[in-house]
Amino acid sequence: MSKLSLTNVTKNFSNSSGETTCVLKGIDLEVADGAFFTLLGASGCGKSTLLNIIAGFEEVSGGNVQIDGHAIEGPGTDRTVIFQDVSNALFPYMTVFENVEFGPKMSGQGKSDRKLTVEKYLKLVSLENDADKFPFELSGGMKQRVQIARALANDPDILLMDEPFGALDAITKKHLQIELRKIWKETGKTIFYITHDIIEALILSTRLAVMTAGPEAVLKEILDIDLAEPRSPANPEFAALYQKIEDSIDEEVEKRKFNE
Amino acid sequence: MSKNHFISGFSIVIFLVVWHLMSVNYFNPFLIPPPIKIAAKIFEMSGDGELFFHVWASLFRVIVGYFWGCVLGITIGVSIGLSKLMNDYLDPPLQFVRNITPVAIVPLAINVFGLEEASKYVVIIYGTIIPVILNTAAGIISVPKIRIQAAQCLGASRADIVKHVILPSAWPFVLTGLRLALGFSFMGVVAAEMIAADTGVGFLIMQSRNMLLPEQMFTGLFMLGVIGMATDKTFQFVIKKVMRRYMILITAESGFKGA
Repeated sequence: MSKLSLTNVTKNFSNSSGETTCVLKGIDLEVADGAFFTLLGASGCGKSTLLNIIAGFEEVSGGNVQIDGHAIEGPGTDRTVIFQDVSNALFPYMTVFENVEFGPKMSGQGKSDRKLTVEKYLKLVSLENDADKFPFELSGGMKQRVQIARALANDPDILLMDEPFGALDAITKKHLQIELRKIWKETGKTIFYITHDIIEALILSTRLAVMTAGPEAVLKEILDIDLAEPRSPANPEFAALYQKIEDSIDEEVEKRKFNE
Repeated sequence: MSKNHFISGFSIVIFLVVWHLMSVNYFNPFLIPPPIKIAAKIFEMSGDGELFFHVWASLFRVIVGYFWGCVLGITIGVSIGLSKLMNDYLDPPLQFVRNITPVAIVPLAINVFGLEEASKYVVIIYGTIIPVILNTAAGIISVPKIRIQAAQCLGASRADIVKHVILPSAWPFVLTGLRLALGFSFMGVVAAEMIAADTGVGFLIMQSRNMLLPEQMFTGLFMLGVIGMATDKTFQFVIKKVMRRYMILITAESGFKGA
């Protein structure tokens, strides 16, 4: 059975003058347990809207979202979102330790257990020596590691990642991608990842989907990615797939230009 | 002594010298006495305890009024920030009333609450409560949405979110309101004492005018500067010690340090 399944998910937004825009029109998707699924698409196509629906922040206008066969009702601890805007997502008045401790504290874990949990995940993201720092003392990449550790400490089934490395420099981004892949393998979490970076998608995912340009966005194609390890853009198979996906996205961008 | 201390000291000396020359050569020294005479008066009034008596009277009123103003202001501000209904009902009158300075409230407060201490407290509470309410509510409304969503994902209940996310995120705004309110409290108390009181620095200044005692008047003005600076510095010091983690964002992100 799929970990996450979307059936005919539709989302309409109404503006103040009463006009309704259909952003997502009938999205069907199955994500297997332990999969690294990536959603690719041009900016503004509705990727984040879909993620917010799965997170439970937004309600569907039609269709449904199920986790392990049960329909979701609002946000839950079985899913944790990793936001791109990490400075606002972290609690700036808490230390790194206290940030990571937040989930276990909310679920009522005892103090000594919490300490073990926090230490485990800070070690996993290589921040064991920065536990007493405040977020403002850390670089963007380190903050993002804190956010990942905070999510993992809460032990969710699914990580929902909304372009988490989109605001980072190329070098930091590359290292974090490698680490994220390692963490995904070690923890066996199901990941739902959003990006518009095709190389990132190909390095990370086991499965990916390309979304059509909005409005009325649907999933254009879903691909299983089974590239030789280590995955590298220099690999001809990688390059061919890159080209195929790029053409597919470009086609969508052109279509939207034409419609405008 | 650092360069900055030297500049500060030197600027004060220049100011006093210019004042002395103006006082002796251009003004009537009976209306604007030279600094040395004022210093002598401050010394004299400190010696016999009269100065301390009036300063304490004003300070005590501010402590009481400011305390209640802050308690009420934070409570109302939080409820406005958290409840759209409260915001819809209370924001319009607040936006109107905030333009009416505490000084202008003095006659009304005396009519309603009499000449005793109550009217002074009311003026100070009024001066405190408005900036505290508005800043607290603004702080709560500007908490980043994704910070609340992150807490929801981590299993926080609505009460947890208020306690661990909304209130701590709003603290820097609240503290700005509290600091502004401290200044308004002193404006309010001085005005109230000038009109109806027989103690306090405001009374001291008004009495000096009526009795033509310019040195005493300047002593009162000087003490207002001293008390204002001392309370503001104390406020900042306490905040730095107790609230450090909430002020981090402000100190870390403010870039302009002067040319």
